Amino acid sequence: MTDDAVHNDFESGLKPLWLRAQAGDEAAYRDALARIATRLRGYLRRRLQSLPDDVEDLVQETLLALHLQRGTYDPTIPVSAWVLAIARHKLVDLWRRRGRRDDLHDALDDVDEAALIAAPDEGEASRDLDRLLQQLPAAQRRAILLTKVEGLSVDEASQRTGASASAIKVQVHRGLKRLAQLVKTQRP
Amino acid sequence: MKTQTLVELLARGAGPAPRHVAARRLLPAAGFGVLASAALALALIGPIPAALYATAAPWVKLGYAAVLAAAALWLTATLSRPVARPLRPGRAVAAVVAAMGLIGLVALLATPAGERMTALLGHSALACPGNVLALSLPALAAALWALRGLAPTRPHAAGAAAGLLAGALGAAGYALACTETSPGFVAAWYSLGIGLTAALGAIVGPRVLRW
Repeated sequence: MTDDAVHNDFESGLKPLWLRAQAGDEAAYRDALARIATRLRGYLRRRLQSLPDDVEDLVQETLLALHLQRGTYDPTIPVSAWVLAIARHKLVDLWRRRGRRDDLHDALDDVDEAALIAAPDEGEASRDLDRLLQQLPAAQRRAILLTKVEGLSVDEASQRTGASASAIKVQVHRGLKRLAQLVKTQRP
Repeated sequence: MKTQTLVELLARGAGPAPRHVAARRLLPAAGFGVLASAALALALIGPIPAALYATAAPWVKLGYAAVLAAAALWLTATLSRPVARPLRPGRAVAAVVAAMGLIGLVALLATPAGERMTALLGHSALACPGNVLALSLPALAAALWALRGLAPTRPHAAGAAAGLLAGALGAAGYALACTETSPGFVAAWYSLGIGLTAALGAIVGPRVLRW
């Protein structure tokens, strides 16, 4: 198969899942993110050949950004183009922080969706989730642990903590935002 | 942390994606910006005489500022998303500025030849662009802050759009304190002040629009 055909396959498999995920289907969201993670790994591995240790960190940073910004997805564009634009933004940001301006010449402007080749092996970043969570303010950490790790519903978490349901949602969102910041700034 | 662990963590209880995120962040910023510029203009420069509101002069400025702000808001909202397609809102902005230019030109041509320069320069041509820029600064800060919480991937363009929006809001505030009456003056000097704010936004965009 050509790169184009691979890409079209990827997009046509992802889009319906993604639209269901946007509407609130959790299983579809998990599936979509897992597919995206695999493709991102391939995309970033190609572009970070000189920084192989950063690949999985950046995959995770991009996934966090995708989640936090999922409200900015516009259904009229391909999901893969949206994903790639965010991945590229994160890549440029990483290069900027590493002071490697020469890499920026790598045609960052064209949305080469075929570049999302698969790299299926399971990745593990160097950061430890527990240690990252330890650095969050207590209310944010608790909201994330209850709803995202223990898997309670927002209402259950609200009953457990005495905080209102909307407060739990806000703490989860802020906590994930803070987590994304930590992931970005605390590279070993 | 395994990436699969992160995927499960993000998906668990995620619920539907939030809707209208750009409007929810940009509209309050724009509201704050126009109130701040109006308050500063009235406090620092002083209100125009009430009788002026019976003439077209302040309404031309306010109308221009409002229509331009709406177009710039559309442009900013477009550029707040990854894979932005800013062509149509960009054209809308250009059309509004061009229409004001045309109105100004026609008004100047209708003025007797000897008075055209006076009408174009008024008594505050040098002060006007700087005042519009200064009164736009709170709106610019608010618009950039709002954009920072969204996902602009073209920071120069997004910063310029935020500056355009802020400039239009600053111009609306300045209209409450500016006694100039010629549409030609508005087309030239208000537009220049708004353009300066857009340029400032384009310069600071890449610095502040990191996410």
